Amino acid sequence: MFATYLIGLREGLEATLVVSILIAFLVKSQRRDRLPQVWAGVGLAVALSILFGWLIEYTSTSLLARSEDRELFEAVTSVAAVVFVTWMIFWMRRAARTIAGELRGKLSEALAVGSLAVAGMAFLAVIREGLETALIFYSAAQSATGGTGSGPLLALVGGIATAVGIGFLIYRSALRINLSTFFTWTGALLILVAAGILKYGVHDFQEAGVLPGLNDLAFDITGVLDPSTWYAALLAGMFNITAAPSVLETVAWVAYAVPVLVLFLRRPATPAKPVPADAPERPATPDTTAQPAGSRRV
Amino acid sequence: MRTTRFLVPAAVGALALTGVTACGAKDDRQDAGTGNTVKVKATDSVCEVDVTELDAGQATFTVTNSGSKVNEFYVYAAGDRVMGEVENIAPGLSRELRVELPAGTYETACKPGMSGRGIRGALKVSGTAATVAPDAALTEATASYQRYVTSQTAALLTKTEEFVAAVKAGDVPKAKALYPVARTYWERIEPVAESFGDLDPKIDGREEVVEEGMEFTGFHRIEKDLWTTGDISKDGPIADRLLADVKEIVARANAEKLTPLQLANGAKALLDEVASGKITGEEERYSHTDLWDFNANLEGSKAAVAALRPALEQRAPELVAQLDKEFANVEAALGKHRDGDGWKLHTQLSKAELKELSDSINALAEPISKVAAAVAR
Repeated sequence: MFATYLIGLREGLEATLVVSILIAFLVKSQRRDRLPQVWAGVGLAVALSILFGWLIEYTSTSLLARSEDRELFEAVTSVAAVVFVTWMIFWMRRAARTIAGELRGKLSEALAVGSLAVAGMAFLAVIREGLETALIFYSAAQSATGGTGSGPLLALVGGIATAVGIGFLIYRSALRINLSTFFTWTGALLILVAAGILKYGVHDFQEAGVLPGLNDLAFDITGVLDPSTWYAALLAGMFNITAAPSVLETVAWVAYAVPVLVLFLRRPATPAKPVPADAPERPATPDTTAQPAGSRRV
Repeated sequence: MRTTRFLVPAAVGALALTGVTACGAKDDRQDAGTGNTVKVKATDSVCEVDVTELDAGQATFTVTNSGSKVNEFYVYAAGDRVMGEVENIAPGLSRELRVELPAGTYETACKPGMSGRGIRGALKVSGTAATVAPDAALTEATASYQRYVTSQTAALLTKTEEFVAAVKAGDVPKAKALYPVARTYWERIEPVAESFGDLDPKIDGREEVVEEGMEFTGFHRIEKDLWTTGDISKDGPIADRLLADVKEIVARANAEKLTPLQLANGAKALLDEVASGKITGEEERYSHTDLWDFNANLEGSKAAVAALRPALEQRAPELVAQLDKEFANVEAALGKHRDGDGWKLHTQLSKAELKELSDSINALAEPISKVAAAVAR
């Protein structure tokens, strides 16, 4: 039972961590008006996961029924999620700099967070593991109706509930820290999360046979970090730290985490100017440039 | 709502990216019952796949985990390429793996506890897409290798019986003398034996199998008792089980029809065995009789190549010449370490001597690895 509980916890954490940091970030930067979009993204992802899971489990659809297709789906959505989360990381950086420049009043202006980006990020964070979780859920439900008892089902739901609980705790404690510390630390935390998601995506591309080298392991510490323990489940769920990663996924992790951390933590040479348009390496946010048509009804 | 209007296309786009066809393409599950629905019973120590031969095409594996650990199920092609996998099979649950399998040889694997190489089993898929066009030379190759396997397994059985009798009689010196001899026949046909994944660890597992939740039994368990404590008074049941397992594998090996491609891959696998287990002294860590195994692996590899020789001479004559040269080279390097009618112990060899052996094996591995491609031509 405990093993099943840990599956729920791990799969649940992979989704809730990004969502809870996103919500904390929006609340901290006085953008509560964006919260409905977060829930819309989460809701749509959950609904689609349940729908596709049901189709695969109970009908003879060929859509995503083959395991390689599902690996590919998880890989594509993971890499897309990394793009969105990286965006958020640099919002955080800008927020941190704005506060450092004593421009609190300007904060909400500086953070022109696109609603589509917010919803997309929440959606991707949940959908990438949602389908797999839905399939596990259905098989647990079937065993419950098939007479083996509802133990696995309850354990799985309990694990997911615990993950949501942890997400909520992270959110609550994030609200208590002072503002600039919050942006620096959650940004750094998010970089590790995003690097983990990218590593996961690369691993799935390897499992889907798109990328080679699945069996070239960078190292194997299964002896130290047994995948069936609770702490291994936590590490895998939060940062995708696994005991036997392939060389390619490790390279991807380093290639992402190191430059992004350096960019993120680099102090600006001059104090931040009121108009935060002086950082060439910063990706443009969707509302400032990339969305002229989307934000105006023509 | 603007958000959803944007997101639905995005979601559909993500699905489309995965190259999936639209809904409703039927592969009726009732129709899939043409022998391509496979039941897999998994526990913490067993991986029972109810059929080992399938027709090419769509296969559905229903994996039921009745163990206590979370399990995973994989179908591997040669070189551990993943054909399909299903993870997160919680204790007490069943999950399905649907996968498209062209004709060929595969391995199934359960991974209780989500780690390690897993409990392997062979899976043959035959039908539509033929692997190798059967020509006379190749057909003859498999028949001739089959004869080799038959002769080696017969000797394996005889020598294991003698070894087991010596162990049960408590005759330590005799058991020690018979141990490397009995293992020689095992090591010669190891790739064939290894294709019966469930028996291999029982007969030839090293102490590490305990970490995978298995009992430490077989040759190496008795080896440990013979060479470390010299006390084999309690090994009777272990010896009986070893003999029963060897009998089982002999029966299976003789019923097995190997393909030319399996011969080629087997010849390569034997050399990999040498490089990974024998040069390092890992295999025979108590008795240090690694060179007996080394020699047996080499002979087994040579036998597989010899069986393929007529076919190879038609297809790749230059490869045959290269193989002959490198085999001679390894044999010369190994020949220096003969000791009476046996071999020196691994511990008597210097680092430089081991390196020389290792280099010669690597030089041979290079042309051997081309054999499979030449056979498949």
